[in-house]
Amino acid sequence: MKIRIEEIDGNVVATVEGCLDTAAAPEAEKVMDPLNYVEGKDIIIDCTDLEYISSAGLRIFLGILQNAEDRGGHVYIKGLNEKVLATFALTGFNNIFEFI
Amino acid sequence: MSIVERERARYEISIMKEIIIYIRRKLSVRISLWVVLFAALIFNVALGFLFYQSREAVRQEAISHATQILENTALRVESILNSVEVASNNSKWLIQRHPDQPDSMMVYSRSILLNNPDFYNCSIAFEPYHFKNYGRYFSAYTKHVGDSIRTVHGGSDHYQYFYMDWYLMSQLLGHPCWTEPYLDYDVPTNTNEMVTSYSQTLTDKQGKVIGVVNISLSLSWLSQTISAMKPYPNSYSIMIGRGGTYFVHPDTTKISRETIFTQTIETPDTALTSLGYAMQRGEEGMKHMIIDGKESYVFYKPLGQTGCSMAIVCPESDIFSGFDRLRRTIIAIVTVGLLLMLFFFIRIITRELRPLRQLADDAETIASGQFDVELPDFQRIDEIGQLSHSFGNMQQSLVKYIEELKDTTAQKASIESDLRIASDIQMGMLPENFPTKADRDDAQLYATLTPAKEVGGDLFDFYFRDEKLFFCIGDVSGKGVPASLFMAVTRSTFRTVSAQESMPDRIVTTMNKTIADMNKTHMFVTLFVGVLDLPTGRLYYCNAGHNAPLLVGADINELPCNSNIPVGFMPKWKYSLQEAQLSTGTTIFLFTDGLTEAMNADKAQFEMERINEVVVRALANQQQEPRQLISQMTEAVHQFVGDAEQSDDLTMMAIQYIWQQTDLQTQSIVLPNNTQEVPRLNAFVEEVCKTVGLDEMVTMQIKVAVEEAVVNVMRYAYPLGKSGDVTIEAAHNDQRLKFTIIDSGKPFDPTIQSEVDTTLPAKKRSLGGLGIHIIRQNMDSINYERIDNFNVLTLRKNIFNKV
Repeated sequence: MKIRIEEIDGNVVATVEGCLDTAAAPEAEKVMDPLNYVEGKDIIIDCTDLEYISSAGLRIFLGILQNAEDRGGHVYIKGLNEKVLATFALTGFNNIFEFI
Repeated sequence: MSIVERERARYEISIMKEIIIYIRRKLSVRISLWVVLFAALIFNVALGFLFYQSREAVRQEAISHATQILENTALRVESILNSVEVASNNSKWLIQRHPDQPDSMMVYSRSILLNNPDFYNCSIAFEPYHFKNYGRYFSAYTKHVGDSIRTVHGGSDHYQYFYMDWYLMSQLLGHPCWTEPYLDYDVPTNTNEMVTSYSQTLTDKQGKVIGVVNISLSLSWLSQTISAMKPYPNSYSIMIGRGGTYFVHPDTTKISRETIFTQTIETPDTALTSLGYAMQRGEEGMKHMIIDGKESYVFYKPLGQTGCSMAIVCPESDIFSGFDRLRRTIIAIVTVGLLLMLFFFIRIITRELRPLRQLADDAETIASGQFDVELPDFQRIDEIGQLSHSFGNMQQSLVKYIEELKDTTAQKASIESDLRIASDIQMGMLPENFPTKADRDDAQLYATLTPAKEVGGDLFDFYFRDEKLFFCIGDVSGKGVPASLFMAVTRSTFRTVSAQESMPDRIVTTMNKTIADMNKTHMFVTLFVGVLDLPTGRLYYCNAGHNAPLLVGADINELPCNSNIPVGFMPKWKYSLQEAQLSTGTTIFLFTDGLTEAMNADKAQFEMERINEVVVRALANQQQEPRQLISQMTEAVHQFVGDAEQSDDLTMMAIQYIWQQTDLQTQSIVLPNNTQEVPRLNAFVEEVCKTVGLDEMVTMQIKVAVEEAVVNVMRYAYPLGKSGDVTIEAAHNDQRLKFTIIDSGKPFDPTIQSEVDTTLPAKKRSLGGLGIHIIRQNMDSINYERIDNFNVLTLRKNIFNKV
């Protein structure tokens, strides 16, 4: 699993690649922690190369979203593949995130 | 019988029937007939007695009257005869003083007839040559000729008198005697006359017979004299001599020619014969007999010493003619009187009962629903007046009650409608779709609930959760609406509690606490709660005072049950758990006491014995599938109960365990309880899915689900910092792919976590509970078992059509 955070066109973009399973979750949470402190900018999580996600990964995404909404920010998910979208859909996450 | 006669008979029968129907319809006719019949009966008895007594009196009167007449006649006859004898004796004395003076004899003879005009003739006849001057014959013969008396010499060669009976008899007998009648021939006038004579022998001083004094009486004269005295117009007298010869008889041809016995020679007549003998013997008396075809009374009496007997014959019709006339008149008067009485009675009673007719018409009108008919006021204070008054009261009451009844009926209809709706609601609470082996390959079941009233207190429920069948059957104390409300509470409590708990003892204990806390009516419910683990056939159950179910497998057993108290009145009671192992094909038969206590018309109960009989029969006929078993039991109960009213709610439920699955291939992996081992797990799962041949999407779903399940175990089964192993086994057949996750940690059932709400907005979403949700969504079943200190969690995915 690889995570890269950068600022592109005034947005914070987190690119997540590989498997975000329970084993990878603690590391991913640590790496993505800065997203919880983003102020006045939208967050884009680029999941184009995300192959797998379990509830541990979903919980991190939910935490980021709840923090961002507290500050009036938006979290966009980008490039989600079909398989991972299925997991989003069955937990109702497809309704709370905005997709681009 | 000819056709005409038959037709006539039929016509008469139909007329009789019509008369009987008329009498039955007419009260007045019936009462009148009874009264008149009764009066007729009394008249009949009284008049009968009167007639009988009168008849006796008339008879007695007739007897005494006739006897009197007979007495008088006999006296008269005797006096005549006596006068003959006296005259004879007197002349005998004179003749014997002067036996040798022939001229004197002529004078004597003449004087006898002169002094006794009733005598017919008189002869003083002598032995031949008694008077030498007169030759061989001398007889001074005197006879009435017209008004004069003629005396001549009798006897000649043509008439040798001394050979005659009248001449010889007294000599032969040695005393004076009366001769039998004989024909007296009068030569000068050439006339015959039937006579009887009194002859007396004349003797000389030496006692030698010199002649005979013979005095005759005309029988026709005697007959007239006697017959002149008759008690009744048609009565007549007879007189017979010693030999029974008629001396006197109304039929003169019979006189001296016939005897009283002559008639009996041709036609034997014992009565007449005995009369003849009685008269000959000189008896006196009366006989009732038939003479010449007529009922007659015969009074008879001997005539002095003459040897004759006389009788008066009185026809009965003569004696009773007056009486019969009187009787006919009285009967006619009584009959006419009774008919008049019948007529007037019918008229009077009809008139008196006329108001009843009107009341009957009014009653008909009221009966047709027209309650406002105005009843007539008869102004009477008798029974009919009272009836009319009561009738009026009844009419008013009827109007009132009909009004009340309308209200009550409307209320009742409303209650019934409510009850019907309640019944629908209650029935709607019960599961309607029963899985059969066509629907499921692990268990099939069927249940029926028949309330005794619209709503009942019995309940059953079942549902499948994960790989478990949760079911319960119960019976609330009492019946009707209260029981149905309690039943509804019990059923929903079962659903709520069993969603959180998997073990029946805990389910029942929690239900008991919940229900007892809010139970103010002291009602209770007997309950059997079971949880059947479908993959293993393990049955967990808790019986709270309910009938023990039957296990119908290779043989029939009652499921052993601990004695727990029913649910609802002791909130702190701890219910105990029991277990049993079911083999494939076994059926659990559950029921309420409505089955054991189903009553027939004789108040006999169905009882366990009969239930067992039905089950044994079903088992013998291979009919132990739920629907078959319950239908046979229902049929048996209906047959037993017959037309008797159902006394209690009746519920039956049958569950058959039909698990047949076998897993083919098995792979396994053992991981320590470390979440860092998840990639190995995922690789294992991916490998398994690849072996089975699943596509990427399904593989992905299974991978997430298994990861969530294993991570759950890793996190919660072992206390923090304690290490342990988690074994994951994978097995599959054509139908399913199964993962079994086994650990030796503390008991932990992830399946009883509450569901997450996936529709909430982000802010309200919780971070927990997602894992179990994902498992349920991605897998077809999840099942937790605690077996021998191991937690066993089984996840199944149907793979048919996905390979």
